[in-house]
Amino acid sequence: MRSFPEMPSLPSDRKLHPVSFVFELASHMRQLLLPGLFVLFAGARGVESWQIYAMVLFVPYALASVARVLVFRYRLGADEISIWSGLIFKQQRHIPYARIQNIDAIQNLVHRALGVVQVRLETAGGEEPEAQLKVVSVAAFEEVRGRVAQARAQATVRPTEAALDDDGVSGASVRAEPSSMPLLRLEARDLVICGLIQGRGLIVIGALFGLLWETGLFDSFNDRMFGDTFRGGGPIRQLVRGLFGQGIAPVQKIAMAVAAVAGFLVLTRVFSVGWALVRLHGFTLRRSGDDLRIDFGLFTRVAATIPLRRIQRVTILEGPLHRPFRRMSVHVDTAGGEQGADVQLQRQWLAPVIARDAVTELLREILPSVPMDAIAWRPVDPRGVRRARRAWLVLNGIVCVLTVAFLEWATVILFGVLLGIGELNARKGVRALGWSISDSGVFFRSGWLWRRRTVAPFPKVQAVSVHETPFDRRLGMASVKVDTAGRGEQGHQISVPYLARTTADAIAADVAAQAARTTFRW
Amino acid sequence: LNSDTLDASAPPDRPPDAPAVPPSSESLVVEGEIRQLDPRRIAVERAGSAIFSAIVSTLHLITASILWLTRGAHWDSWLVTAGWFVLTPFLLWLTLRWPAIDYRHWRYRLTAEGIEIWSGVVWRQTVVVPKSRVQHIDVSQGPLERSYGIAKLSVYTAGTEYSRVELPGLDHATALALRDALLPRDAQPAV
Repeated sequence: MRSFPEMPSLPSDRKLHPVSFVFELASHMRQLLLPGLFVLFAGARGVESWQIYAMVLFVPYALASVARVLVFRYRLGADEISIWSGLIFKQQRHIPYARIQNIDAIQNLVHRALGVVQVRLETAGGEEPEAQLKVVSVAAFEEVRGRVAQARAQATVRPTEAALDDDGVSGASVRAEPSSMPLLRLEARDLVICGLIQGRGLIVIGALFGLLWETGLFDSFNDRMFGDTFRGGGPIRQLVRGLFGQGIAPVQKIAMAVAAVAGFLVLTRVFSVGWALVRLHGFTLRRSGDDLRIDFGLFTRVAATIPLRRIQRVTILEGPLHRPFRRMSVHVDTAGGEQGADVQLQRQWLAPVIARDAVTELLREILPSVPMDAIAWRPVDPRGVRRARRAWLVLNGIVCVLTVAFLEWATVILFGVLLGIGELNARKGVRALGWSISDSGVFFRSGWLWRRRTVAPFPKVQAVSVHETPFDRRLGMASVKVDTAGRGEQGHQISVPYLARTTADAIAADVAAQAARTTFRW
Repeated sequence: LNSDTLDASAPPDRPPDAPAVPPSSESLVVEGEIRQLDPRRIAVERAGSAIFSAIVSTLHLITASILWLTRGAHWDSWLVTAGWFVLTPFLLWLTLRWPAIDYRHWRYRLTAEGIEIWSGVVWRQTVVVPKSRVQHIDVSQGPLERSYGIAKLSVYTAGTEYSRVELPGLDHATALALRDALLPRDAQPAV
């Protein structure tokens, strides 16, 4: 009956933890779950009958989940992990240990209560999904991580690193060695600052909002606030109408709106601090042999592993809120794994906050080959100011033409204010731009409010390009892009605008030549 | 790093200023020579563009006819008809003139380190891919390209924006020779 080559069973084969099907089920039914709970507990609130019948769909879902878990097997071979999965569309995947970019372990509250963990193995191929072991016991995770680290250590014994291997990764146990000094540990105070700086409060508020919406509390809240008169349209529109709906807004209403906005901003920061305290609780970054280990989380524990040589690009961010606290953020790009944005984003922040003085030390540990403490920054072409100003002026003009109908004479004020902002932004923004080439990598900085500095070591440079828009051409200018593996559009791309054509060509030629001289090892 | 050493290694000026060696010289690929695409590229582009333009223009005409038949001399009938008289000359230009203009702005050069590709009429770009960063290479031919005997070279890197760099309009044999010249000779695994 079954034509698919059966997998030869071996005693070393591993299966998922028996509770896996619960998580499998949950992940497939998250969209159906809330309406489902509604049907069961809040039947009073206008549930249509088809929604109840739709519940029948849960049954095949549940059976399929159980079956999927039952057929899932993995085997830790000599130099690869093999995974057999799929009920109808069977899939066999073999991932050599050497190709595994990152190993992440995620443990939420339920996982922890059951003593299991969700493991993600990421390879460099962006399009193909990384392998997931969802879920296995903690011991099984340690086994996988150990095998990968062991195989990698054996594969990459180079003369210079032989010494490292002795005390580093060669051992069978890969628990975070207590002897290894953490590179960064965030205490509660750091986390409060981190929350204040990062402003993740919107996420929390968004979640709360979703919950209110879902449970219908929002409607009653709105009714009580504004009465039934402003029905129809989205909630935002309702709110706006509630505030401004009755002709010209009276002073009290304007004051209320301003207070609401201010209160909202404060509230988002408070939530953000809460978010940081919970999400990043006990954040520790430590070095273990040739890997970086990151552990954090109060309820959902995340343990991420980043091999040092997989780091493609490092970015240091200093925003307006970082400065009063004398902090910075450090962010790395690794190749692989486009999906699972949540964990990705977390891991990217190698240091969500770090004291400004400690950054150099940390970078020396992460990128010893590319010193970032004494960079000879070179400016872009000063004509860039004029270009930036002109671009802003066009935008400004469009905005003002569009708003003239609402603002009438006040458009002049808007135009003036925008003109001032544009001037400041053009001057400061272009002055903040800078590039540098050392004998080990390319550096790029940009932003005057959110200052970002990025480095790409030459071995990680994939391609270099020079771009020329019609505006560039008229002034004999161009921009240069340096492409690395990593996370595509997100992050701080090395893209230097407003360069003289000759400079741009020279940078491109120099970077390409230096990159060609090195070999790329992911 | 000073500006003197930078200028010495600067790439040549962009097309159409740069002199190019026609691809019909003796050897298929010569390191360091700036070359143009195969002239047959123009014919292929014209043919492809002609098919596209014919389909769009016909559909447009059908739409206009239906409007006249169903709504008569309504303003939207006039608008769609007027649109045809604007769009179709543009499509004609795209078919007859554009391929030659675009062709003039393509250049490539194989170097000891890798490959450089110049392209773009309005938004111009130069891409440099070092040989050591080439992951794999495709040489592909669509039905039109096959009938004209030309091929497209696609160079894949581990990058993001330039994970695939394309060089179309090459003589098929040249494309294969370029592929062989660009593939890393040492069998050392890159990852």
